[in-house]
Amino acid sequence: MTRVITITSGKGGVGKTTTTANLGTALAAQGAKVAVVDADIGLRNLDVVMGLENRIVYDLVDVIEGRCRLRQALIKDKRFPDLCLLPAAQTRDKDAVSADDMVALTNQLRAEFDYVFVDSPAGIEAGFRNAIAGADEVLIVTTPEVSAVRDADRIIGLVEAFEKGHPRLVLNRIKPRMVSRGEMMSIEDVLQILAVELIGVVPDDETIITATNRGEVAVLDRVSRAGRSFSDIARRLAGEEVPFPALEEHPGLMERLFGMFGRRPRGSER
Amino acid sequence: MSLFDTLFRRRDGSANAAKTRLLKVLVDDRYKLTPEMMAQLKIDLAEVFARYLPSIDPDSIDVTVQRGESNDHLQADIPLRRPSNT
Repeated sequence: MTRVITITSGKGGVGKTTTTANLGTALAAQGAKVAVVDADIGLRNLDVVMGLENRIVYDLVDVIEGRCRLRQALIKDKRFPDLCLLPAAQTRDKDAVSADDMVALTNQLRAEFDYVFVDSPAGIEAGFRNAIAGADEVLIVTTPEVSAVRDADRIIGLVEAFEKGHPRLVLNRIKPRMVSRGEMMSIEDVLQILAVELIGVVPDDETIITATNRGEVAVLDRVSRAGRSFSDIARRLAGEEVPFPALEEHPGLMERLFGMFGRRPRGSER
Repeated sequence: MSLFDTLFRRRDGSANAAKTRLLKVLVDDRYKLTPEMMAQLKIDLAEVFARYLPSIDPDSIDVTVQRGESNDHLQADIPLRRPSNT
């Protein structure tokens, strides 16, 4: 059974596209057939994040308006032939796509793929509603900041109003040292405010920027902590029980103390 | 979070301010219940309860919205002054 999973957030710039690229790649690396759809019409971005911008011939609007067949518009990933991107159009016509179009498109993709990830635009308008129209499940991305959490709360309400079930939360860009100083909301704080199920926590990590600069995804970088977190989320999506590792940015005082005795405290392997 | 972090985490850090402010603003966002309406609700509640229980201190009433998975709950904490037995 194919699962159509929409990644959304309300606020822009919290990591929707990065999350989509990483989860899609991680599941493809595990052997699944995956399509990633850029539903941000007019602001195409998933292609550059995945390093596929030079291969685009047709886009999502071309498929919907019948200028090409779906297969012609799908771009194969550089590494995984079972990972395909459907790029957004760069058209300025916001009404080029309807919710019914998106349902039809995702249904067509169901025939070929195990997972279909839809990267939603920011906001709560038509673009967002189109992005969730064909979804079976929704993931909300947020960061531990007041504006992002507030918008996430609005989006959670809307997702439930559109009867898309209970969305799950990706808490992105957490800075463990700031949390331990009491200067950033903790995982527990955010969960208490939003009252949703957590599917993963991704630490703030420079490797996301360096990987994206090169058009690569962090999930394939073995030393990337954010990449490992996205990998864990992909495994949880696939139904695996993956424990939530303790967050540690650099060796803290406790670890250094334990380090002197040649061992590490429990739960700090990462 | 390690024991070390729990022990030394600052209670007056900006994270607590963020959380408190968010909890308030989200009640308004979701239920259109402004802080002024919430204040009036407490006054009205105190009035009703005082008809039956004179030992209520109207200023100590705390009304909050508790968030749950499928439903939120309006929770009122109404402390009673213990009657003196003498």
